[in-house]
Amino acid sequence: MAQTHDHGDHSHPAAPMVEEISEFEILEIAVRELAIEKGLFTAEDHRKFTEWAEQIGPAGGSRLVAKAWTDPAFKARVLSDGVAACREIGIDWAEPTGQGTPSDYMELRVLEDTPTLHHVIVCTLCSCYPRPLLGHSPYWYRSPNYRRRLVRWPRQVLTEFGLVLPPEVEIRVEDSNQKCRFMVLPMRPAGTESWSEEQLAEIVTRDCVIGVALPRPDRKSDDVRPVHKASRPVGGEHHEPGGSP
Amino acid sequence: MSGKTVLGPAASDAPGAEISPIPLLDAIQDEGRPWQELAPRYGVANPDPPWKVSLYAIFECLSAGGALPSLERRHIEDRLGETIYGRTPDPERQLLALADTLLRRGILSEEDLARRMDAVRGRLEDS
Repeated sequence: MAQTHDHGDHSHPAAPMVEEISEFEILEIAVRELAIEKGLFTAEDHRKFTEWAEQIGPAGGSRLVAKAWTDPAFKARVLSDGVAACREIGIDWAEPTGQGTPSDYMELRVLEDTPTLHHVIVCTLCSCYPRPLLGHSPYWYRSPNYRRRLVRWPRQVLTEFGLVLPPEVEIRVEDSNQKCRFMVLPMRPAGTESWSEEQLAEIVTRDCVIGVALPRPDRKSDDVRPVHKASRPVGGEHHEPGGSP
Repeated sequence: MSGKTVLGPAASDAPGAEISPIPLLDAIQDEGRPWQELAPRYGVANPDPPWKVSLYAIFECLSAGGALPSLERRHIEDRLGETIYGRTPDPERQLLALADTLLRRGILSEEDLARRMDAVRGRLEDS
């Protein structure tokens, strides 16, 4: 159904919307209203946290890394005091209450990768994540599968993300906790020597600062999803029994 | 922060305790359509339902007021997500786990919640 959206001097097709009210949407509203009526919190508190949550995202982490790559003095400050360095790029961990949120302790340690050391972060206890800098954690980061297995078999789990590291690279898993959050400072990839900070920020995707991917000059966070043609289509004539699943 | 009520643990919070589904929430789990099913049907690209940010703000409010600390909530989500609400994806599953906690701890009653859901549904369908 093609609808247009009129702005007076111009119009464009309206963005598609879900034209259906789900039971989950209704449940969220009902729970919130009743919780407010029972005095668990106020509508104003809720509005304040919603406003904060809607403006966080992974862009802060990308900018922090890009600036650290191009400015050695800033990089030194990032490594010595992550929260203070964040303020330099306009991210204040104290928001929205003046003391941060109840879920984000104001301690950030940035872990620098080297040619022989790769970091990856996890929270085995729950899902602690540097939200003021990276926004909300991805679903898989919160899953028991990732949390339990990464600390035991980091190399294997990274391979499942498509990241195969040579055996000489040590993998260090850093377990977040209630008192401290971590972020990875990956190595600047070759082929980006003349790039601006803005260009560099584009290739530092969320997964790169978690440590499950490496930045590449040919991959940006807003790229369209890669689609690879299957080399062995299911049901194709070339299927060989006993091949890999 | 206004929250003064602290949600005391329910008997079913004990490790290893048998958890039986709450009928109202179980029905929502069975009949409700999660976002990952609805969004592609309408050609919507946003990976998250519009109410997710509001749900997360509820979590922050409950934790800030001391009613339900985040770590405790996450443990509940893990436990319920691997048992009675395992058929539902996030964030719907997180919402079910929260509603379950409020019901099981006696902060809300199933009747109150069902009645309020009817009222909300009427309001949304009216507009």
